[in-house]
Amino acid sequence: MSPSFLLVLVPLLPLAAAIVTVLAGRRLGSRAHLPAVAGIAAAAAVAFVLLVVTARSSGGGEHPRPVDMVTTLWQWATVSEAYEPTADSAAAVPGTAVGTDAHAARPFSIAVALRLDPLTATMLMIITGVGLLVAIYSIGYMHDDPGYPRFFALVAMFVFSMSMLVAASNFLLVYVFWEAVGACSYLLIGFWFQKPEAARAAKKAFLVNRVGDFGLAIGVFLLWLTYGTLDFHDTLSPDGTILPGILGQTRLADVSGYVGGAVGTAICLLLLLAACGKSAQLPLHVWLPDAMEGPTPASALIHAATMVTAGIYLIARSAPLYMACPGALVTVSIVGTTTALVAALIGTVQNDLKRVLAYSTISQLGYMFASLGTGTLLGFTAAIFHLLTHAFFKALLFLGAGSVMHSMGGVIDMRRFGGLRKLMPITAATFLIGSLALAGVAPFAGFFSKDEILASLHQKGWPSAHGEHGEHHALVPRLPETAAVGPTLHDVGYRGVADHGEHATAHAAESVGLDALDSPAVWQTLFWMALVTAGLTAFYTFRAVFMTFTGPLRVPDEAGHHAHESPRVMTLPLIILAVPATLAGLVLFTTEGLSSFLAATPSFTAPAVAATAAPAVFHWDLALQGTLAAALGIVIAAVGHLGRRSDGPQLERWLGPVRPFLENRMFIDQLYTAVVIKPVEAVAYLAAMFDRSIIDRLVLGVARLPVSVGNLVRRLQSGLVQRYALAGVVGVLAIIVLLAWRL
Amino acid sequence: MNLFAPSTHLLLVILLPLAGAGIIWLLGSRGLQTVRQSAAITAVLTLVAAAWLVLRYLASAEAAAGQPFAVLSVPWLTGGIFDIRLSVGLDGLSLWLFGLSALLSLTAIMVSWDAIKEGAVGFYMLLLLLEAAMLGVFAARDIILFYVFFEFTLVPLFFLIGIWGHDERRRAAVTFFLYTLAGSVLAFLGLVTIVLWNASHTGSITFDIDLLTAGLTQHPLPMDAEGGYLQWLVFLALMVGFAVKVPIFPFHTWLPLAHVEAPTGGSVDLAGVLLKIGIYGFLRFSLPMLPEATALAAPWLFALGAFGIVYGALVALVQQDLKRLIAYSSVSHMGYVVMGLFALEPVAIEGANLQLINHGLSSAGLFALVGMLYERFHTRSIASLGGVATKAPWLTVMFMLFTFSSIGLPGLNGFVGEFMILAGSFQRAWTGVNVGLEQSYLLLALMGVVGVVLGAWYMLWAVERVFFGTSRLPPSHEADGESAESLDLRWHEITALAPLAVFVLWIGLTPASFLGPPAATVRKLSLASSEAFNNQMHPGGVPRADQEHDLITHAPPPPAASVPQPDSVQELATVAPSTPAAR
Repeated sequence: MSPSFLLVLVPLLPLAAAIVTVLAGRRLGSRAHLPAVAGIAAAAAVAFVLLVVTARSSGGGEHPRPVDMVTTLWQWATVSEAYEPTADSAAAVPGTAVGTDAHAARPFSIAVALRLDPLTATMLMIITGVGLLVAIYSIGYMHDDPGYPRFFALVAMFVFSMSMLVAASNFLLVYVFWEAVGACSYLLIGFWFQKPEAARAAKKAFLVNRVGDFGLAIGVFLLWLTYGTLDFHDTLSPDGTILPGILGQTRLADVSGYVGGAVGTAICLLLLLAACGKSAQLPLHVWLPDAMEGPTPASALIHAATMVTAGIYLIARSAPLYMACPGALVTVSIVGTTTALVAALIGTVQNDLKRVLAYSTISQLGYMFASLGTGTLLGFTAAIFHLLTHAFFKALLFLGAGSVMHSMGGVIDMRRFGGLRKLMPITAATFLIGSLALAGVAPFAGFFSKDEILASLHQKGWPSAHGEHGEHHALVPRLPETAAVGPTLHDVGYRGVADHGEHATAHAAESVGLDALDSPAVWQTLFWMALVTAGLTAFYTFRAVFMTFTGPLRVPDEAGHHAHESPRVMTLPLIILAVPATLAGLVLFTTEGLSSFLAATPSFTAPAVAATAAPAVFHWDLALQGTLAAALGIVIAAVGHLGRRSDGPQLERWLGPVRPFLENRMFIDQLYTAVVIKPVEAVAYLAAMFDRSIIDRLVLGVARLPVSVGNLVRRLQSGLVQRYALAGVVGVLAIIVLLAWRL
Repeated sequence: MNLFAPSTHLLLVILLPLAGAGIIWLLGSRGLQTVRQSAAITAVLTLVAAAWLVLRYLASAEAAAGQPFAVLSVPWLTGGIFDIRLSVGLDGLSLWLFGLSALLSLTAIMVSWDAIKEGAVGFYMLLLLLEAAMLGVFAARDIILFYVFFEFTLVPLFFLIGIWGHDERRRAAVTFFLYTLAGSVLAFLGLVTIVLWNASHTGSITFDIDLLTAGLTQHPLPMDAEGGYLQWLVFLALMVGFAVKVPIFPFHTWLPLAHVEAPTGGSVDLAGVLLKIGIYGFLRFSLPMLPEATALAAPWLFALGAFGIVYGALVALVQQDLKRLIAYSSVSHMGYVVMGLFALEPVAIEGANLQLINHGLSSAGLFALVGMLYERFHTRSIASLGGVATKAPWLTVMFMLFTFSSIGLPGLNGFVGEFMILAGSFQRAWTGVNVGLEQSYLLLALMGVVGVVLGAWYMLWAVERVFFGTSRLPPSHEADGESAESLDLRWHEITALAPLAVFVLWIGLTPASFLGPPAATVRKLSLASSEAFNNQMHPGGVPRADQEHDLITHAPPPPAASVPQPDSVQELATVAPSTPAAR
């Protein structure tokens, strides 16, 4: 079986499972999980094979060979001669069309094409692996739910959509599945649609994501206008010329292949907006905490491990685009670090266990953004590394929280239970492992990935401390002879300058205001913010651990007499997930398996990225700082919460007036209601009034004029409609007969 | 007369509904069941015949060459200067709309199954007459026939709204009739002017659309003061007629009224097909025959389209009546089509042409479902409905499907058109307008994208209120004490919705097979206007790819051996190590 066939199988198997579940769900009854579990399990097995295949062909070593395999399934849409590259657009870079006119009209051509490369293989493994464990867990968690088949159909549908998202080899296809995973998320958040909160949360999630999609849509339009294609890979046009894809090898090999300046920065910021929506970063993070209204397994899969990492994936995939725009890169880091800090602060005062984890997810995703924004190979791979470890330990924590919720009769408020470690030892032990990983305690998984992120930030803040490889590489080196066709535009203009001599000189000096942010001082600030966040993370994680599992046993009334450890089918996934949560970091860090594997991803072989490659060094000083921050957080949590349950958490009293501010999530939701929702609704009311009282009146005024209207209306009352209808029929018939007769 | 000739086939398709109407008139005394069964059988037969014709078109040599198919042109009044013929035929532009008319007529009949009990004979006769008229409009290839069928779509709908409508049906019927009649009279004046202008130059009076297009290309209507701005005046006359039909803001107020008051079957045909005649008219007459005037008006109509998108969405946002909400969503969605058409960019125009079909499917589906809700709960008020999902799960699934189609969820049909329209609009804003205009164009294109967000807002808000949560209906409204089982979709409702759902998915997954057949025709019809607009934007004919590119020093192309060839080589493993530069 060829790799391309296997690649198609990964999304296809869950899709088939979803369809079977929809069609036969009722008949399967309590066995409705079978198609989904089997389909996702098979997909996971295939994904593993693909991982091995990809690893073999990349070879590894000092200079990784880029690996990508593209499979075209069918042509989705074509409009011939839709685009004529202008001299100033990047579509006209040399090598564009070998031997032919670089400015010939291009088709708007979208193929359903899948790709396999190290990044995709890694993501597929995470999606199907975590998906499988969550599906198994759900057999126990969701049993007796009236929507049992619907749940598994949606989970399988989600695994399909998410696999397609990371395997798509085209920006439009990415957009398609970007929204498709959003729709699955919408349906899963609103799974218990009878609950008004769930229905509202689902709608909120979809709408906030739509704002992000707004950015993605415009970003995709600009990509199309700038590069004349939306494909990642190079394609062969019928006349035998090569159309370089946006992330294809032809363009990647060209040091001036990517647009910087105002247009490039605009594209990158729009993609960032999209990523902020999907990955719940400021200012679009507000939907994720509410999304916890959905079933907990869905939260674990979609809102912790996989879907929310789509933003990380998108930016990592678009790395070469970002490398041409240092201002956009540093913005990614600023957004990420700020989000990490803000979400961690809010997380410290939440009493709902799932919401603590939700804010923690937002915060950890912020770390990944911070790392991506450094624009170094270390930063990109560290982000994916953290994405991987986070997927394991956060899924573990969510499933653990679900296990607690399951036995507490649906109660998830940590103030209402406590001391559960005796009642549910497996859940408690695995939750503790997940917490240690999240808090970044060595040698658990999170420690290593977080350390790499801190190192990548440190490297930007104090370049000299990192030797010659740590030099400032964000600006793409450009060869003088190709700079003339370098595709940047003046000012915020949408049209290039006609004078190419001037263009060339303008090009070198080209920078946008944001680029000024790319200074060591900013990076140093970001590093310290990230370090503080590490401490806060450890604090809120262990606050949750202590509140839930330590102290005297307390169980809410809702749990009844059924408060017990969850069934085997639920604890088994916890135990399995605890293994990578413990070991993944250590293994992957010491063997450098992941980073050298990922380095063969085409996007990371772009000269601008590859040039930043530095030998992996374990920075003892940074590791020490990170560990100290974590330890401090745990100690404060212990002081505040350990053994003092009856007094109430005195720690929160120290916060004083800050506490209500944090408890109300910094009033960001209220701010959006006041600044966005209410004004739009007000304008909508005005528009509706205008429509009714002005435009409509005008028409009615005109309508009163002709007296004949009265006659017309009277005819309606004659009751002889049949006669009119018949007259009509006869009239049209006459025309047709006339036509036929003259035939 | 060869019965199997395509042209006979085409006539037969238009004739079938009329024959059905006649049969219903004859069988009228046999009772409701006979009447509605005859109507349904007629609609099914027409649909099969129409689908068969569409397939014959797709397989024909004419389709491959972008030529009209099944053309039948018979002399009516010939001799001397008169060369008046009646002609019908199908081409790429009319193909899908023709099929859509046949498809939605079946839907319109099936959704009326239980709703119409009074005066069923007249009702179904009118629906079938409407079907024949809709099929005829899209098949007409001369102006006389076009206009006759165009008017014939008004009359049945006027009666359908005025008699079987809801409380304010009289006002709605009159508003609808006056609005569209006023518009179509102006349009007729414009068309007659075209005919006369052509006659004054070619010396023969013809109404044939192809001949007129060719004639006006050779002797364009004057656009200057000397010629009395005749082209401009004709364009305005046609524009008013077609803009009312579409409807383009601010000519839209008849639409919500007509929809809310119309019986469900009428709404389905109205939203699904009749609104499309306006855009069809623009594409058939204005763009090919009046290119300079179209180019001059294009920025304004582009702006009206973009404004209509946001305006319709905002007004929809505060509606309390579900049917009114969907009516305003039609205003918003037709705004996309107008915007795409007058972007005069190939991607946008082909997207707009597809979006006609997409909107026909999704809005017809949504109106049908609102009618089903009304039959069950006797209200359309969003505030009083709630928790329908628990009572009618499959109805909810269908509503969600058409909602997702309407808000442009990828994988379904609505996305394709919307995306292409917006991509083309951005392309126009970015590269194809004068320096002074590009800011405004960009802003308008952005308004289009804002509409995507607003569209999701009002539709999902309605879904949340109507289908989720718990029921807010007083017990007396709870569907007359019927059991929960009977509240879900019934067989005739499934017949009405299932074909639409199939196309929603089909177009969404393989839009290429729906974009392909009309492409050549649409390109041909819009070419003159696109070129006129490009010339207007770049006077002196400076091409977009400016001439100076020859001066650019190209870097040597990469050696051929290292060049990947993805499309020819399906599998492309480990190609060409890209040399890690600048280490």
